[in-house]
Amino acid sequence: MANKKVNKKDITGLLKEWGQQFAVFAPSRESGVAAMAEWDGKDTSFLDWYRNTVVPPKASFLPPMEEMFRFQKGKEGYNIAPPPKAERSQLLFDVRPCDARAMAILDMTFEQALEDPYYLSKRKSAILVGLGCTNPCESCFCTSMGVSPAESADVDLMLIDIGDDFLVEEVTAKGKELISKTSGLKEATKEDEAKAKQARKASYDKVTRKLDTGGIKDKLLASFDDEEFWEKVAAKCISCGICTLLCPTCYCFDINDELVKQEGTRFRSWDSCGFPNYTKMPMENPRQEKWRRVRQKVCHKYEFYPMTFNVIACTGCGRCIRLCPVNWDITQVIESVPARTEAKK
Amino acid sequence: MTVADTKFFAQGNVYLPHIAVIEKIVEETPGVRTYHFNFKDEKLRKEFTFQSGQFAQYSVLGTGEATFCISSSPTRRDHLEFAVQRVGKVTNALNRLGVGAEIGFRGPYGNSFPIDFLKGKNLVFIGGGIGLAPLRSLIWNVIDNRDKYKKIDIFYGARTPTDLCFKYDLEAWDKDKTVNMVTTVDRGDDSWKGKVGLVPKILEEVAPSAKETVAIVCGPPIMIRFTFPALEKLGFKPEQTLTTLEKRMKCGIGKCGRCNIGNLYVCRDGPVFSYAQIKDFVSSEY
Repeated sequence: MANKKVNKKDITGLLKEWGQQFAVFAPSRESGVAAMAEWDGKDTSFLDWYRNTVVPPKASFLPPMEEMFRFQKGKEGYNIAPPPKAERSQLLFDVRPCDARAMAILDMTFEQALEDPYYLSKRKSAILVGLGCTNPCESCFCTSMGVSPAESADVDLMLIDIGDDFLVEEVTAKGKELISKTSGLKEATKEDEAKAKQARKASYDKVTRKLDTGGIKDKLLASFDDEEFWEKVAAKCISCGICTLLCPTCYCFDINDELVKQEGTRFRSWDSCGFPNYTKMPMENPRQEKWRRVRQKVCHKYEFYPMTFNVIACTGCGRCIRLCPVNWDITQVIESVPARTEAKK
Repeated sequence: MTVADTKFFAQGNVYLPHIAVIEKIVEETPGVRTYHFNFKDEKLRKEFTFQSGQFAQYSVLGTGEATFCISSSPTRRDHLEFAVQRVGKVTNALNRLGVGAEIGFRGPYGNSFPIDFLKGKNLVFIGGGIGLAPLRSLIWNVIDNRDKYKKIDIFYGARTPTDLCFKYDLEAWDKDKTVNMVTTVDRGDDSWKGKVGLVPKILEEVAPSAKETVAIVCGPPIMIRFTFPALEKLGFKPEQTLTTLEKRMKCGIGKCGRCNIGNLYVCRDGPVFSYAQIKDFVSSEY
């Protein structure tokens, strides 16, 4: 397959062209933290400052807050109407491979059993354009989680920095179709391909943090009832929820109603298993103690998700390490799980 | 994993409720009510089906949604029922509604009691408090097909005689010669003539045989925790013990995250589980 390339100076033109068909989202610091935001039509400075977003791109398909439907009480009783569908599909520009993989992991939950129409309608119509990392963070451990920082099979198109140009890889049929309709791209040469290969390896080697996840599912199962261990793991956690809210594979949400006079909205919003009220029922709460909630977070990613979907729900993006206010470190926790053959009771 | 029938989705969207109308309200105990309801849409009223053990998400629009099982039997389909204890936001809002009020309903969700597995066996039902609600759907289902099952024992307990739910059912089952009904309370009063003692203790006293028997348990977590060991003592294997669990839920379809016990979601993989399925996690997660 012959790849294409685009000169870095031509990115503005490329995004403008794509903007005619799609709602283009790109990294932005407009809101105060780096997040995917609708591109303003001119600013490409993110190509210089961007390492990864603070808010993961899952927010494009599972927004922090989302209207599910409106309801109105009239003479004939309640009338219920879902929100109108977005007019244009989204194109996310510069998604990192760790986050692209995370969305593939999220798909498993939203597709299984009964499909989630809000997430899937946005996700399935979207185009993901990946950008290879050239400068991974100290907290990143993607290479231990089966992700390569400058390679991805989970995007439609993949860009790799090869100097003055980006190599443009056509990853999916959807990506290929978009490229066939895109003007101003040049054919990549053998030399460009060689540079890309080198760049991929260089990026890979820059990820120095390693995590051994061998046998982790069984180790966690055997340690499930080891209260002393979990108390220690949870000791410094302040239950702020940031490691879950900003985790690219976390999907938990709450559903609530808002009523103004006779007009109401039902909406969903991100929630976290770190919050005490998350599992609270009027008569009791199975996870009142903090260690039970921290155990849930760790086991959900490294034990339960593998049991259900045969994949660890962590891509090594490092956000939970970078953004934790008390330096809680998932890689240290995973490495400290005792290797037991018998379950501790 | 079970998949609900998509033909019952409102407007093709799993999260949108159908409108249902409350037809009758039964005061079970000072804090517990049963609501009889029917769908506003005539077509759905005729076509809607469910199985004993399934649950639904009920809305008081403007207040929110809560999860309750369908407590009536699919063999008696002129209306549907659910029973609630007035303890939270939605149940308190329900309490302010009268006959004729509109509520939201989406479902049925979850798996159900494995009817084919139960057929031809002895059944021991063990319920506590409002935990009788999902069991009564199955009990009536079984009684309406009485010849397909062998011996039926029902153990039911509540804190005091006043706290006994579904008293009209208890009376009917007590009169039914094909059913052995044992009712117990933690604390009796002057007029109480039944047994006094916690359900697991009474169960061990009466000691139903485990041979070709399935035990079906539902009640407050504390009762469930003590009933499992009592059944094991009586010779019930974990595969022979079924329960239906309740957890806080929002979506009802395995997406919102909070109702898990280990890798199982109560909404998606349950609410009916065998003790064998959940015993690794049940000691510390339920």
